[in-house]
Formats: sequence, C-alpha cells, structure tokens
Amino acid sequence: MKVGFFVGCNTSFNRPDLEQAVRYAFPALGIELDNLEGQSCCPSWGTMPSVDVVGWCAVGARNHTIAEEKGLDIVTVCGSCYGSLAESKYKMDTNSEIKASVNEILKEIGREYKGTSKVRLAHYYLYHELGPERIKEALKHRLDGLTVALQPGCHTLWPSKVYYDKEEDPFHPKVLKEMCEALGATVGHYTRLIDCCGMGAMRSTDMEKSFNLVQKKLLSMKEEVNPDLIVTGCSSCLIQFDTAQEFLRNGKKINFQIPVLHFMQVLALCLGADREQVTGLAKTDVGPVVNRILAG
Amino acid sequence: MSNVQVATGVINLSEGDPGLVDEIKELGGEELLECIQCAKCAAACPMVLAGFSFFNKRVIQAILLGLRDALLDDSSIWACQSCNRCTEVCPREVNPFEIIQAMRRVAIREFALPTLSIEGLKSLYDTGHAVYLAGAGSTRAKVGLPEKPYSTVANPKALKELQAVIRQTALADLGIIPMDESDVTETCEV
Repeated sequence: MKVGFFVGCNTSFNRPDLEQAVRYAFPALGIELDNLEGQSCCPSWGTMPSVDVVGWCAVGARNHTIAEEKGLDIVTVCGSCYGSLAESKYKMDTNSEIKASVNEILKEIGREYKGTSKVRLAHYYLYHELGPERIKEALKHRLDGLTVALQPGCHTLWPSKVYYDKEEDPFHPKVLKEMCEALGATVGHYTRLIDCCGMGAMRSTDMEKSFNLVQKKLLSMKEEVNPDLIVTGCSSCLIQFDTAQEFLRNGKKINFQIPVLHFMQVLALCLGADREQVTGLAKTDVGPVVNRILAG
Repeated sequence: MSNVQVATGVINLSEGDPGLVDEIKELGGEELLECIQCAKCAAACPMVLAGFSFFNKRVIQAILLGLRDALLDDSSIWACQSCNRCTEVCPREVNPFEIIQAMRRVAIREFALPTLSIEGLKSLYDTGHAVYLAGAGSTRAKVGLPEKPYSTVANPKALKELQAVIRQTALADLGIIPMDESDVTETCEV
C-alpha cells in the first residue's frame, strides 16, 4: 500500500514532530508514503478561498494533480488541509464549469485535474484500510490505564458530503474514539466534545474570544473526564490546545495542565518511535504521560 | 450603517444596498435567497459561543438588508472557522459558510481585508505556504527532518508552477499583493 503525504504548512513548520510521527507510523504499519514533491499550501481558508472559488480550486487542483499523476490518494493530519482539499475536489467534481475553468488555468503549466485521487485524514485512512484489530497486533506499547479526552476537530466531520471517509453521525463521531480504544485507552465522554477549539481564523481575528472557546473545552474535559491526555485528530487543534494552556494559566483562567498529542503521535509512540522525534516540540509537558505510554 | 444608526440601533432600510445580494450570489453564495432565517445555523456556530457580532444567520440577514458597510466595518466575517457545522444542519441547503466566504470576497474587492490575510496571500505566492515560519529549518532538524519540507519551498520549479497558476486567478486581477520576484525570508502565521 502506498499513499501521498500532504504535509501542509502548520505540520511542516510548526509541529514537524507530528510530521515525523506520520513518517514513522505509516511505514511501521506497512504503508509506504510518497512525498508528493512540489506540493503547496492546500490553500487555507483566509487566503485563496476568501478571494475566489475558481482560484481556490486551481491552487488545490495543482496539489490534486500531483497525487493523480502517481495514482495515489492524499493523506493529511491537518483539518484545514483536509477540509480545503476535500471541498475544492467536491466543487470541481460536481460543477463542470468550475472544473473547466480550473483546467483552463492548469493548461499553462501542463496539468489537468481529473478527480481520480481521494482525500483522506490519516487516522480515518488507517481505520478503514487496516482496521483497529490489525493496528492492535503491531503495537509495542499500549495506553492501558490511561484516560483520554478527545478533540476530533471540525473539518474531520463537516460538511460530511465532501468527505470520502464519513462518520455514521458526524455529531456523534466514533472513529477517533475507537482508534484510541484500540491502543488501550479509556475514552471519557464530555459535554463539549464536538465544540470548536477556536484555532485558525478565529484566533487570528480575536485571540481572547478564541481562547474563551478552548477554555470552555478544557474545563469541560477536566470536570467531566479528568484525562491523563488530550488526543486530537487535527494539527491545528493540537497547536491550540498545546499553546493556549500556558496563556490561560497565566491569566488565572485555568489552574491545571493537561498534556496534548495528535493521534498519530500517540500511535507512533505505541509502535516504537523515538519519543523526542515524534513528541519533542510539545509546549505543554508531555514527559510523564509519554513515560507511562512507553511503560505500557 | 451610519454612525447614527449604530448609536441608536435603528436601521434605515432605505440606505441599504440592494446590489449586495446579487454580488454575493455571483461570488459563490448562490443559495442566499433560500434562507428563511430559522437560525439553525446560529445554534451550531462557534462564533455565537465566542461572542462575535456577526455570525452566519446575522451575516445573511445583513446582506439581505443591504448593510454592506456594517459588515465591512466589523471583523466578524474573518473569524469564521470554516467549520461547516452550518452547512451540515441547514434545512434549506443555503450553505451559510459559502455566503460568509462570498462576503469576504466582496470585502476583498473593496480592499477591506485583514492584514493577516494579505500577508498570508503574499506568503502563499512567495513560498507556496500561507503559513510559513522562516526559522522552521532548525525546528525540523531538531526532530530529524530535512530543513525544508518536500514542497514548493524546496522545489523552485514547483513554486514557479504555483505562481503561474495564481497569476491567472482573480487575485492577480485584484492587485492585492505584488507578484514580482522576491526572496523567501518572511514569516507568516495566518
């Protein structure tokens, strides 16, 4: 099995330890990664999508064509990349005028968007293509005895019509829960499970309001689950939960800290990855919980 | 909305811009007039929980009333997370998210866009990445990765290709960012 790894911006430049986690975990599970060399930004929401539909799709389409030429699906760990690429694909696949306009633009660089590659989120890809049971068999460490709270991420779920990997009910997501349970974790439910973390455009526009949202989620997690670890399904959520806690503590909005990792980081640890390479850039201390995972 | 209207909370509908509806429909909000203001989108919107003045339902309402200046003067449309909860729950398939995006497209055509978006667009053109951290090479090396990812930043031919694509889009027609040769030195966190 082989897939194209769409690494995007935040994972490349902000949390390359997450990039390393993907680069370790996929091959460890027998899946080869192609680098989709020459890929660009998805593009993210505040840029091309906010300017023009055809321009957004054209930049996305160039990325799609890199995977199409190789006959590969695209896998990413970033919700924004997943959402933007899936939406641009949906627009081109369902609107022949948009597709024709995009291909007119791509003609100048000798490319053509055909629509033959799927866009997948890493843990959904593993869930559907390998399944939790096969992943269990490959584990060197487990999360037995650890309680986790989940942050699935908005773009994992909505709009469900644009995604290849759909949740049975996107307002009651199960995939990330089942994947964490496959690693041995106890997954606690909390009221604000599907609330937004406030990262992205909201944080860029008004940091205080953005942090109010993540504060609400953290308090709900703490009071209802009291987790040893927060596990996210999105790189942006990872960055928000990881970096906001210090601000909130300094502002006396919370009086605790909870370590945060992306699911692919937890999986990589369980498969035997080097802890510094796959979790070494966390701002909120993950040391003790990583010790527990590696002892499990 | 004039300052008097803002102060009194009274909206003079005769001052509304009736052309705004058509503009939104042309820029991607085709289903705007299907909205019945049921507020199901608002019930699902994180902007409501965070306390922004204009969220999906109110943006649509303001567009229908032609309140162009009120929307352009407020930063709320730029805080939309593109999370698409609204799209999922809308019973009329209005696609409220796309209407907020269309309102951003109107704003951009009036150069009423946030500095961060301009920087993101410039960074996208110059590096291929809207979010770009110039000092990330050492961070990447620290975790055992090559200093540049396998993207446009490590591949000049691919970057030129991307730039050729962008130069054919509305972004070039609007002239929001310079599209000449430049060095990749800036950091941008959109």
